[in-house]
Amino acid sequence: MKVILGAALAAGVALSSQTALAQVKVGALYPFSGGLALLGDESFRGLELAVDERNAAGGLNGKKLEIVKGDAVDPNQAVGEARRLTSVEKVPVVFGSYSSSISLAATQVAELAGIPYFEMGAISDPITERGFKNVYRTNPTAKDFANKIVDAVTDAVAPALKTDAKALKIAIIHEDSLYGQTVTGFQVARMKEKGLNLVETLPYSAKSVDLTPVILRLKSAGVDVVLQTSYQNDTVLFFRQMKEQGLKLKAIIGAGGGYSLTDTMKAIGPENFEGALNVDFTQYKTNPAGAPGINEFVAKYNAKYGSAPRSGHSLANYMGAKVILDALAGAKDLSGASVRAAMMKIDIPSGKTATGWGVKLNDKGQNERGSPYIMQWQKGDLVTVFPKEAAVADMKTGGGAP
Amino acid sequence: MDVLVQLILNGIMLGSMYAIIAVGLTLIFGIVRVVNFAHGEFLMVGMYAVYLISKHMGVHPYVSALPAMVLLFAIGALVQRFIIQKLLNADEHIQIFATVGLSTALINGALMVFGADLFSVNAPEVRKTIALGPMNVLIGHIVIFSAALALVAGLHIFMQKTVLGSAIRATAQNRYAAQLMGVKVERIYIISFGLGAACVGLASALIMPLYPVSPTIGSYFVLTAFVVVVLGGMRSMYGAFFGALIIGVVDSLSGYYIAPDLKEVVYFAIFILILIFKPTGLFGFGRGTE
Repeated sequence: MKVILGAALAAGVALSSQTALAQVKVGALYPFSGGLALLGDESFRGLELAVDERNAAGGLNGKKLEIVKGDAVDPNQAVGEARRLTSVEKVPVVFGSYSSSISLAATQVAELAGIPYFEMGAISDPITERGFKNVYRTNPTAKDFANKIVDAVTDAVAPALKTDAKALKIAIIHEDSLYGQTVTGFQVARMKEKGLNLVETLPYSAKSVDLTPVILRLKSAGVDVVLQTSYQNDTVLFFRQMKEQGLKLKAIIGAGGGYSLTDTMKAIGPENFEGALNVDFTQYKTNPAGAPGINEFVAKYNAKYGSAPRSGHSLANYMGAKVILDALAGAKDLSGASVRAAMMKIDIPSGKTATGWGVKLNDKGQNERGSPYIMQWQKGDLVTVFPKEAAVADMKTGGGAP
Repeated sequence: MDVLVQLILNGIMLGSMYAIIAVGLTLIFGIVRVVNFAHGEFLMVGMYAVYLISKHMGVHPYVSALPAMVLLFAIGALVQRFIIQKLLNADEHIQIFATVGLSTALINGALMVFGADLFSVNAPEVRKTIALGPMNVLIGHIVIFSAALALVAGLHIFMQKTVLGSAIRATAQNRYAAQLMGVKVERIYIISFGLGAACVGLASALIMPLYPVSPTIGSYFVLTAFVVVVLGGMRSMYGAFFGALIIGVVDSLSGYYIAPDLKEVVYFAIFILILIFKPTGLFGFGRGTE
């Protein structure tokens, strides 16, 4: 009996060490359960597809990549799972993480352990502003979002209206939690820089049941363009009440959040949401000329998961992971120093990846060529309208009451 | 000037929405003497019920008011019979924890069944506006205002003119004396809790065409309803009705003239001032006026 057990154990050890030789583990830290699970899993699928591609192309230095999942439902668990991945599973690198609060917590653990951490979805600026040497981010940040929204007024809206951007009366309205406040702070700074006319900044609670006072303030101020940072319920309420109070705008621009969701459009009605602009990660109604590989990604996704992608998160993670894995394939090994050298060498111009973003990291590890696109709701579809190379439709002006 | 009138009008409309919810809350508090923290979640359950009824039977959300009220009455009565009644002689904190626990359970139950997505019903005619001079009023709001008036009037007649109403008033005034007079107090509690919940059933059918439902929708309305109940003197449905209109107008005016994110500060300041200076409510409708 003992002999058999011993033999089995030995065989087991031999087997596992044999597979370990031919493989290299990579950590994948996302929320796989809890309230963030849907988009956490959607983000992970992008990474999984990029890893499959890398393996088909020969893996890293002839070794196959094997993903080890870590389930981070909140910052506390993110710390625990990051520790498990780095010290128990001994993964040389970690990919993640969809949510900013999860990323902020997990990157600290990775940095202490000296393990490279690749962020491909969380947008909070401080993630790459803490002087960490092993944290890299391929996606644009909240500041990029805010800047793009303000630039949308000067580069897209004003030319379409055939007027000077400085002549437009602009108002910012935002829900008053961290998300709204962060984006608004950057927007106000950018507007000052560009000398635009900001007439009102109105914060409100996302749990408001009446936004009529906000709308009447906008009406009294004779506002032309509204920049809104909002979740779902407040977006729905604002558009419904804007119609009731007869507020007409020349343009309204959202900052992802509630503006990106199909449910929001359904609750408001496509005819009332028509013309609403939105700045967000690249979505699927984008011209492949400006985002080569986007259609192939959708096809691969369909083949593996049996449905169309549920949001743009998988695309952003796929693009980031693909660029990073290609760079790692050229690295000597996966130590912190070699990874840093390989990452800093990346130099991809804009319009050459599946999201259309270019990649060039600054010394903080932040990609400086990632830029969200401007999209617009047209007849119930969220289509990319700016910049021109990625656009699939012309931008329209107007918003609010017909 | 036009803006001021529009704001006051809007505030009254908003207030009548709070009124229906607050009258229900007042019934439960005034008679059963239980602070029902699950009241907002009753509203949420009612709204999902209205959504499902309108979607699957193709009827207007207003038509589903009746089944929603019956359903909510049943839920309220069951909660009273099987949860609150067991705790009637326990410490007040225990009752509060019971309703808070029920609220958490209902929110998470809705998350499991419906997910976090928004659901809305299609009733565009309710969302049309009528122009009164320079002002705009939603048809849905006019319906809610009329319903709030009808609800208070109906409850007034029920309480004053029927035997059951008298028994309810007697129980509210003195539980033990009512018992001695032959009133079956436990039955009265079940009916009262059911009635309070049925008010929310009415509210859910009226609100559903205006607001999409999600698992946390209850908390949007109910915190304000608590302020209203205190303002109205805690036990008086007339107090709750006028208190709701006042809070609605304060909400609307402070949102415009001060700042949209500070309106809660204004009416919670009112809430604290009333608790300090006039704990029997703004109209003195407090104790013994049921």
